[in-house]
Amino acid sequence: MKFGRRAFLQFAAGAVGGTLLSPMPWRLADDTAIWSQNWSWRPSPERGPITTVPTVCTLCQGGCGIQARLVNGNRAIYLEGNPVHPINAGGICPLGAAALQYLYAPYRIEQPMKQTRARGEAAGFQPISWSEALDDLVKRLARLKSEGTPGGVACITGSRWNSMDDLWARFFSAYGSAGLFKMPSHSDSLRATAKLALGKDSSLAFALEHASYVLSFGAALVEGWGAPARMQAAFMRWQKNGAGKGAAKLVQVESRCSMSAAKADQWVPVVPGTEGLLALGIAHVMVKENLYDADFVSRGVLGFEDWTDMQGKVRSGFKKIALSPAYAPDQVAARTGVDAAKIQGLAREFASTANAVAVWGGGQQNVPGNIYHEMSFFALNVLRGNLKSGGLVSLVPDVPFQPADDQTAASAEGGAPQIKLGSVPGTRVPLPGNGIYGFLDILTRGMIPPLEVLFVHDANPAYSLPENKIFKAALDKVGYVVSMSPYMDETAMTADLILPNHAAFEGFEDVVGLPGVPYAYYAVSRPILKPRKDTKHSGDVVLQLSKALGGNVAAALPWASYEEYLKNRVNALAASKRGAVADKKDIDLSKLQSSVSVSPNFKDGTDLWKKLTGGFCWYDVPVDVRSAVDTDSGKIELAFRAIQGKGLNVEDDQVYLPHFKPLPPSGDEKEYPLLLLSYGMLSLSCENLANPPFMTKTLWDFVLKKNDLFVEVNPATAGPLGMIEGSKAVLKTPQGEVAVRVHLSQAARPGAIYMPQGLGHTAYDEFIQGKGVNSNSVVEVQVDPITGMGTVWATRAQLRRA
Amino acid sequence: MKEEKKSASGKGVGGIFFFGGFILALIFGWIVFPNLLFSEKAQPLNFSHVAHQDSTCDQCHSFNPDGTYSGIPRLDNCVECHESPMTSEESERILVEEYIQKQQEIPWKVYAWQPDNVFFSHAPHQAKNIECTRCHRDVSKEAKLPPYSENRLTGYSKSTMKMIDCEKCHAQMGANNNCQVCHK
Repeated sequence: MKFGRRAFLQFAAGAVGGTLLSPMPWRLADDTAIWSQNWSWRPSPERGPITTVPTVCTLCQGGCGIQARLVNGNRAIYLEGNPVHPINAGGICPLGAAALQYLYAPYRIEQPMKQTRARGEAAGFQPISWSEALDDLVKRLARLKSEGTPGGVACITGSRWNSMDDLWARFFSAYGSAGLFKMPSHSDSLRATAKLALGKDSSLAFALEHASYVLSFGAALVEGWGAPARMQAAFMRWQKNGAGKGAAKLVQVESRCSMSAAKADQWVPVVPGTEGLLALGIAHVMVKENLYDADFVSRGVLGFEDWTDMQGKVRSGFKKIALSPAYAPDQVAARTGVDAAKIQGLAREFASTANAVAVWGGGQQNVPGNIYHEMSFFALNVLRGNLKSGGLVSLVPDVPFQPADDQTAASAEGGAPQIKLGSVPGTRVPLPGNGIYGFLDILTRGMIPPLEVLFVHDANPAYSLPENKIFKAALDKVGYVVSMSPYMDETAMTADLILPNHAAFEGFEDVVGLPGVPYAYYAVSRPILKPRKDTKHSGDVVLQLSKALGGNVAAALPWASYEEYLKNRVNALAASKRGAVADKKDIDLSKLQSSVSVSPNFKDGTDLWKKLTGGFCWYDVPVDVRSAVDTDSGKIELAFRAIQGKGLNVEDDQVYLPHFKPLPPSGDEKEYPLLLLSYGMLSLSCENLANPPFMTKTLWDFVLKKNDLFVEVNPATAGPLGMIEGSKAVLKTPQGEVAVRVHLSQAARPGAIYMPQGLGHTAYDEFIQGKGVNSNSVVEVQVDPITGMGTVWATRAQLRRA
Repeated sequence: MKEEKKSASGKGVGGIFFFGGFILALIFGWIVFPNLLFSEKAQPLNFSHVAHQDSTCDQCHSFNPDGTYSGIPRLDNCVECHESPMTSEESERILVEEYIQKQQEIPWKVYAWQPDNVFFSHAPHQAKNIECTRCHRDVSKEAKLPPYSENRLTGYSKSTMKMIDCEKCHAQMGANNNCQVCHK
């Protein structure tokens, strides 16, 4: 018996047969399949008990109540609206729903970083410790202060409507620099208008919930104007039962059929930039046909009739200007493209419908507008008598953090500010508003000494500042750029030092008032989980710097942490014994009246803090706008009386009144025959937060297809250029040239090109960057001569086939 | 001739080789392989169900208010009684010193751990009054945790229920056996 080849084969055949009759091959096949499901790179959700934490969203200024679902108390898996919260009543916007992607994004910065090579080199960033980073910064700040040049320090922040705003102001005031600047926003304009007309440094507010007729001059109401969730709720009311009398009517005046225009009852397409002219045309008809509230205007308004200026000279009033032939319906019709009869119809409808209100701005871009046009829109509300007590237009109320705040505010007065915009010849403006553009301009042109340290906080100016090359150019005059971004954004890329802030939902934040909302609002956003990276709240950074600097700076900012500071503010709020906490469902804040005060439902500061960190918000009644007026004349001023004392003294009466004065865009009309306008979308985040990939998925393929951005063009404009749907094209403006594709749309006005905002990032990660084009790199900023604020309305452009 | 001789000589013996290979493969497939496939792992500490008979089952294994099942209790549950050792047993020393004092959850190895692609809810099974022991081992008289056999390939426990077991019972009970019932 020999074990030969044949025997071996027989043995093998037996073994195969035996194996097949054993569980081994089947088991192995099954287990291999399961093994392949458990490869280490396969994402596996964490398991554990689920908890829900209520907080307040701080991604925008909307103040929505939200709740986060967490596994094991440390892995956030879902954000949803808080049904008890009076602002959003359980609703959530696309950005909120996608926001957890910011917490877990690959582009988060792990710890402080220092640039060791040339600025902008990604490979040059080296991690350093917090103590090293802060020591270095303190040395620089202490040296500048001791050398008597604290003006060499500046900050650009995107914080508004929260307490970081106040903390920065305290720091800069105590340190002795005037270099604190905010990213532009349309609320700057609403503030400038209120300052001119009402003498108050607050933003205008509109009781839109009570309107039955809304005349919107390009206000992106549906896309998230002011406080987005509140706007959506108001829009829902207009559909249902506006002010108890059936549905409210929304008339949208805009050159493009935006989402708001499409959802409006009537879309009034106008030539881009002539919205202000149409408003004056409507004012003309109202004055001429005696359709305005004559009683209110004669008693409470200065500058409607002829008025006497500070030198005793009698000047024409708004009545005379409005009645001038330039604003007669047929003249306005010729320039706006709206029929004369329609203008008259709009004026009569606006004048005769109860609870009619005019709103404006923030449509094409959330930036300030031309103050003459802003005042023209405001004038319509004055004519309509909307600024009476309990009227539809008032002011965003201040949150009463006094008096406990006062003691520290007094010691906050420090050395003399070094940069005063108006001190540089040629930069003086009569009514200085947000001066970021003026500041960057004089810095770039060398009219002030170069900056030693520039903080950039809660902002991404290298991307989101309109005409962003202005910021990039200014960086050459900055010795040390400190970014406080939690994310590797375009500005962080150009920084010398990165001190990463917590991402949203990782630290204590608050919301102080809501833009455009007439009732008072305050909310605290508590963290939903522990910080995931080695980050520090920028408020804590400011407080630590102050402590290390010592002296009056430390005295002005004595709090141990940002959380302590917020608690201190809440204590002050509780001590004011005003307002109440909305801790029940179905509290309708829009029903609050300035004449009926609410009684507090909190015991003391500790109790209020507990309620606020429980996800509830504090509210109080609106301000009585009549008694709030604080002008020299004690009246609402339609004439810009205030600017005369500030260096503007000319013959032309029109300069002191609302009138149509477009700021001409640069470039030759022959070379650039078209106008470029950018627009925002609710599903596209366009400021300092990159669009989360979940939201990018919701974009239509005629906005973004793969990496191509589409501009909207009317077929009548595209046809002669030889373009069809999807054509590749080159868009050129005096600011630059970009590759786009063309989407033919009747929503676009002939002669104009419309580009979405929020795409075209170059930083962040592979899921964000390289998608489309950044509109801020091709649009142009025109500086308003009265406020010095940068406005954006249109840029000359040419479009040619690629 | 040569070939004939060979084939003649191999006829009877060939059956032996075939049979030998067959038997060896069966032994390997049925007895050796299962032992090779699984490795025995120890639990972090022993838990005696018998010693906890003064408590009811649902004091530790309870349903949450939202209908989800808590499964294995977390450390908070243990701390209620075992803040300091109650006996001098080794397992209790480990519990207090290694986990309760360090505030670390006990990394129990779960005998019934299902993959991520399985959606299983205890609630409808409880509503049908299905006994726990229909799927889980009977722990009422268990003083020592059984060894945990981990599949070397898949990483799951030997006692993890397979899909066939679910399907059989569903079929018997007339419950839905569609894919999306368990695979969402």
